[in-house]
Amino acid sequence: MRRTWALAAMLAGTLLAGRAALAQQSTMPPDAKVYIIWPGDGQVIKGAFWVRMGLSGAGIAPAGVEKANTGHHHLIVDADLPPLDQPIPNDHNHLHFGLGQTEARLDLPPGKHTLQLLLADANHVPHQPPLYSKRITVTVVQ
Amino acid sequence: MSSIRLQTLWLSAVVATCVVTGAVAQGTGSAPPAAPATSTATATPRTPAPRDAYVYIGWPLDGATVYSNHVKVWFGTRNFGVAPAGVSVKNTGHHHLLIDAPLPPLDQPIPSDSHHLHFGLGQTETVIELPPGTHTLQLLMGDADHIPHDPPVTSKRITINVRAAPTH
Repeated sequence: MRRTWALAAMLAGTLLAGRAALAQQSTMPPDAKVYIIWPGDGQVIKGAFWVRMGLSGAGIAPAGVEKANTGHHHLIVDADLPPLDQPIPNDHNHLHFGLGQTEARLDLPPGKHTLQLLLADANHVPHQPPLYSKRITVTVVQ
Repeated sequence: MSSIRLQTLWLSAVVATCVVTGAVAQGTGSAPPAAPATSTATATPRTPAPRDAYVYIGWPLDGATVYSNHVKVWFGTRNFGVAPAGVSVKNTGHHHLLIDAPLPPLDQPIPSDSHHLHFGLGQTETVIELPPGTHTLQLLMGDADHIPHDPPVTSKRITINVRAAPTH
């Protein structure tokens, strides 16, 4: 299943990017930074909440749009960073914001959860060097 | 022989005319439907935005007093996406920060000057320099061609007070 997805993504990437090989990763300005504006690390939250995604020193572009110094957000929930030289998986633990969104509403079960942002290029592949936020922990209560 | 040749010539002329008029008719026929999709400076139709799309200034807060000439402003966007200028993707736009200025005309490209800052790379925050005093800030989304959407996606106009950093 995972392999099928990766193959499909590779095919889509090839179609979209044409000559751009997956091995050639996009770059970002050295001072670019991605961070979670809200919630704060260690925050206790009641019920569903909005995650606000911050990016400084670079721009947001929807998936599929090739433009220097841009990317789109991915929110990693309760998971480690995925391989940084491949398209980011698309599942419940890896949320894609391919429309260029900068906020997301999360409704997580009560308990401790980790959140981390990872920016990726037009083909969902992280930049080189990768741009990711600190991994924060929140506690959801009912 | 010569009459046949003449007839052939006449026929080809008719065919050529048909092709030309056909092309012209096709050109004029296809132009109006294409206009709403790509709004240009001359076209009146604006890029549509969902009714629930909105932007807001996440920081600073309305009425805040800021003790620095450098003010970080972050742009909140909900039910809408961010895309660089020149990129036409449905339900996206790029931010413009209006400083001490009312909303510009909504059917024209947003001016680009010190009161209308463009964030055409798709930036979602900035740091601006303001002299001490009271200032207003407002966000206005523009489409690929810097023209506001329909309905316009704009934030509340907030007021902040900038004071010089305290010296000891």
